[in-house]
Amino acid sequence: MPTTQTSSSAPILQATGIHKSFGDHHVLKGVSLAVQPGEVVTLIGASGSGKSTFLRCMNLLEMPEDGQLEVSGHRFAFTGGARPPKDEKLAGLRANIGMVFQHFNLFPHMTVLQNIIEGSVQVQGKSVDEAKALAMTLLGKVGLAEKAQQHPARLSGGQKQRVAIARALAMQPAVMLFDEPTSALDPELVGEVLSVIRELAAEGMTMVLVTHEMAFAANVSDRIGFMRDGVMAEIGPAEAIMNRPQDAKLVSFLERFHQAKQG
Amino acid sequence: MDNASYAWDFGSLVPYLPLIWRGLGVTLAFTVSTVLVGLVLGLITGVLRNPTMTRWVSVPLQIWTEIFRCTPLLVQLVWAYYALPVLIGVDMSATTACFLALSFYAGAFYSEIFRGGIEAVDRGQWEAGRAIGMRRGKIFRRIILPQAFPLMIPSLINQTIMQLKNTSLVSAVAVGDLLYQGSVITGASYRPLEVYTTIAVIYFAVLFPLTLIATRVERRLGASK
Repeated sequence: MPTTQTSSSAPILQATGIHKSFGDHHVLKGVSLAVQPGEVVTLIGASGSGKSTFLRCMNLLEMPEDGQLEVSGHRFAFTGGARPPKDEKLAGLRANIGMVFQHFNLFPHMTVLQNIIEGSVQVQGKSVDEAKALAMTLLGKVGLAEKAQQHPARLSGGQKQRVAIARALAMQPAVMLFDEPTSALDPELVGEVLSVIRELAAEGMTMVLVTHEMAFAANVSDRIGFMRDGVMAEIGPAEAIMNRPQDAKLVSFLERFHQAKQG
Repeated sequence: MDNASYAWDFGSLVPYLPLIWRGLGVTLAFTVSTVLVGLVLGLITGVLRNPTMTRWVSVPLQIWTEIFRCTPLLVQLVWAYYALPVLIGVDMSATTACFLALSFYAGAFYSEIFRGGIEAVDRGQWEAGRAIGMRRGKIFRRIILPQAFPLMIPSLINQTIMQLKNTSLVSAVAVGDLLYQGSVITGASYRPLEVYTTIAVIYFAVLFPLTLIATRVERRLGASK
């Protein structure tokens, strides 16, 4: 596993003081995170702690009310009441960030191959042949080359998620975001998806994950951030967070995991 | 008169056949033209009412749509014929008034079908499109509409069948459609049973094949899921 500690190089993704509310519910209360190139950061915490919302703020699927975001040169500043950024500017940011959803969100009317080349062709303007060549390489990498001509409905959940990962990688993104990528999967299908993610980490892909798979998080992450009630309650090297947690809520959160491991 | 012994005489209608055909022609012309215009209106307003649109566009369109959905078509036809010309100071033939009312009426219902079909597509599909850097229009064309359209087809066919039947209301303002010709022929022949039975059979003969097609399409779409 890569063990990049907080190096001094410029972060590839920097979110600063992010605030987000849904109606009266203040979900994010000034959360910050800087991710170095090649780093793997996992966000953990109870449901409702804001970790998924924070992740979705990183590619602006959720629009923060306040705070700054910078991802590989794309800079956004949010202040209360300001107009949301232009669609074009948002698209420019998102083309640089891969996102993998809990529910896959594959395009059901397209084949696996069409799903993967859609962004390369329609957004990046690559030729279909070039996009297909890249897509087949990526499909090989996630072990699904023989499914290229199938429609997503014919795939298992694990296969769908691997296709979704390939689709995100096809944009050759600077950062990959994973929003609970295995939460919708049958237990026996979780492993195949996690091993693809682990492989990506080993190749040095910069990633931010939200997951409930604690053993996996401990194993694959450089750093782990614990979110509680819309704040980053504690963040540090994976080993330290798992074995020497400080925050009382984190201690009890991890206790359940440690017990489950022994039991 | 003893019902059982009523002597049917369809032969007496033969001289009036040209009138019936003319009436059917008017009915079909109204159906085809108002369906086409209605589809265009419905598509535009339905698409403009999609979830990403600002309220300043979607709310007025919704009000407009509800006006046509929540008043009887007969009232709209009569209003367009008697009230609208006074209001805008333009003389309007009954045909024009009926064409306008029927088109807007169809447009309102088609709009609902288009909007509903678009909204029935999972929100995650928009997000997946945005996540790979697609702009709104492209997501709409390449991701949302291709999924929404199959969902809409059965309802669109249904609404079109209703539209053909609804055209019979234009007879109320003396436009010479199939039903109106029926009343004319009845007045001349004193054979209401034969006349209105024939009219009903003609409507059925035109619409029944359409419902068969609708069922077929529905089944095919269901099978491809």
